[in-house]
Amino acid sequence: MSTDPAALDQWYVLGALQDFAPGVSMRRLLGHDLTVTRASDALSVAWHAGTLCSRTDYGHLWTTLGTPERPVFDLPESRKADRRAVYCGAVTVRASGLRLIENFLDLAHFPYVHTDVLGVEARPEVGQYEVEQRRDVDELWATKCEFFQPRAAASSEGGQMSQYMYRVVSPFNVMLYKTPPTAPSRWDVIALFVQPVDPDLSIAHTYMLVIDDSSTDAELIGFQQMIFLQDKIVLENQRPRLLPLQPGRETPTRADLGSVLYRRWLKEKQLTYGVEAPATLA
Amino acid sequence: MAWIPIALSRDVPEGTTRGVIVEGREYVVWRGASGSAQVWEDRCPHRGMRLSFGFVRGNSLNCLYHGWQYDAESRCRHIPAHPDLVVPSSIRANVYKSVENGGMIWLGASDDNAYLPVLSPRLPLASIAVEAGGDNLPALGERPFGEGAQLLVLERSGLLFYIGWHQVDAARMMLHVALADNADAERGMAALRGLRYELEAEAGHVH
Repeated sequence: MSTDPAALDQWYVLGALQDFAPGVSMRRLLGHDLTVTRASDALSVAWHAGTLCSRTDYGHLWTTLGTPERPVFDLPESRKADRRAVYCGAVTVRASGLRLIENFLDLAHFPYVHTDVLGVEARPEVGQYEVEQRRDVDELWATKCEFFQPRAAASSEGGQMSQYMYRVVSPFNVMLYKTPPTAPSRWDVIALFVQPVDPDLSIAHTYMLVIDDSSTDAELIGFQQMIFLQDKIVLENQRPRLLPLQPGRETPTRADLGSVLYRRWLKEKQLTYGVEAPATLA
Repeated sequence: MAWIPIALSRDVPEGTTRGVIVEGREYVVWRGASGSAQVWEDRCPHRGMRLSFGFVRGNSLNCLYHGWQYDAESRCRHIPAHPDLVVPSSIRANVYKSVENGGMIWLGASDDNAYLPVLSPRLPLASIAVEAGGDNLPALGERPFGEGAQLLVLERSGLLFYIGWHQVDAARMMLHVALADNADAERGMAALRGLRYELEAEAGHVH
C-alpha cells in the first residue's frame, strides 16, 4: 500500500465510464482495494476509510487517494465537435507504470518494436527535438519531434513524416499530439492514462481524440491495440521492472532527452512509487 | 562456485539467442557467425530490455527495443537512433566467463581454480526441467564428477549419462543431458524420465 505523498496526491483513471456496470465493481490503485458503485448514472468511489473524491472527465472515472494540488488537467481538444473520442480499452501490464509512460515518450523504438507500422529499420534516426518543463502548469513538453512512419494511423494510405509533441501532465498520465494522415495541419491526440495497481503492475487506458471520418471505431481500436501489444512485450521484459532513477543504472542518449527530463522531474517530486529502491542496488 | 552447464550447445545454433535463469539471475546465451557461444547478463544497458529477445546478425547481438548493436566482445558498436555517432567504448553489455565443453555451454566458475574436466559425450539428448533441488541429486546414488563442475556421470538401463545441471530457483532445476554413445535416443529419453521421477519423488512430489 502506498504512503508516498507524491503518488497519493494525484488524479488517476480507474476506467472508461462505459465500462462500469450498474452495482459495485472492484478496482485497485496504488496497492489499495477500491469499490466503484454505479447507481443510475452516478458513480462513486470508496476505500477502507470511506468515500474518495472522484470526477468524470474525458469519458473516464478519476479518483485520488490524497489531496491533489490541481484539478484534473485540461484537454481543450475534448471540446471540439469534429473530433472523435475513442476508448481503446484497458490492458494489464506487468511493469511499473513509470516504464509505460517512458516508453510512450520514446520515438527511437518505432522501427524495432512497431516495425513497418510506426517506423522502418532503414530510417531509424531521431532528430534533435526540444524538451521543456513548464513550471507554471507543472507539465513536461517535448516538441519538434519528427519521425518517418510507413503507417502512422489506421487511416494511412502510405508513409509520412509524422510530427509529434508530447505532454506529460502528471507522473502517470501522458498524451501525444501527432499529425493525422487526413489533416496534416491539425493534431490527433492520443492519451495514455496509467492506473498503477501495484509498484510493478499497471493497467493502461488508451484514449484518443482523432480527426478521422473514414475509419470505423473497430479499426481505430484495433490499430491502437496492435501497437500497444507490441509495446507490452518490451515493457514486461525490462529489468528491473521498476524504473531506476539512480544515475548510471541505464544509459540515455540524445534521443532519450524526454526520458531524462521525466526522470529528473520524478526525482524532484520525490516520487518513489514504481521506482527502484536505491537499497536494491548491488 | 563451480562451472555450471546452462544449455546444450545443440540448442543454441548459430544466429539464435536463448534466455536462461540460473539461481534467479537472467542470462542470455547467443551464437553469432564466428560460431562461439557467448553468455551475457540478459539486460541491455540502455533501458534494461532483455537481450534474449534480441536478434543476431552476423557476429552481433541487437537489442529488440532500439536496435543497439553489440559485437562479440560485448561492446556497443551502433546506436541506430544516431547513425553517425561513434559509440563510447564504455557502453558494453555485461559479460560472463563461459566455455563450451562436451556439447554443453558452461557458465564460468567464480573460483578460478575450479576444475572443469574435458568431456566427450557423443549424443546430446535433452534439457529437461525437474522440480527438485541440487541437494536431491545424491538420491541418484552417484557422486558428482568433482567439486569444480555441476556434473554427474551415471549409468542407467545400460546407458552412460552425462548430466549437467543448474538450479533455476529454490524448487526447480534444469538437467542438460548427453549420452556417452550414439545410443538409441528413445531409450535414453525413457531412462531420463525415470531419473526425473526419482528426483522429484526425493524432493517430495507425489506423482
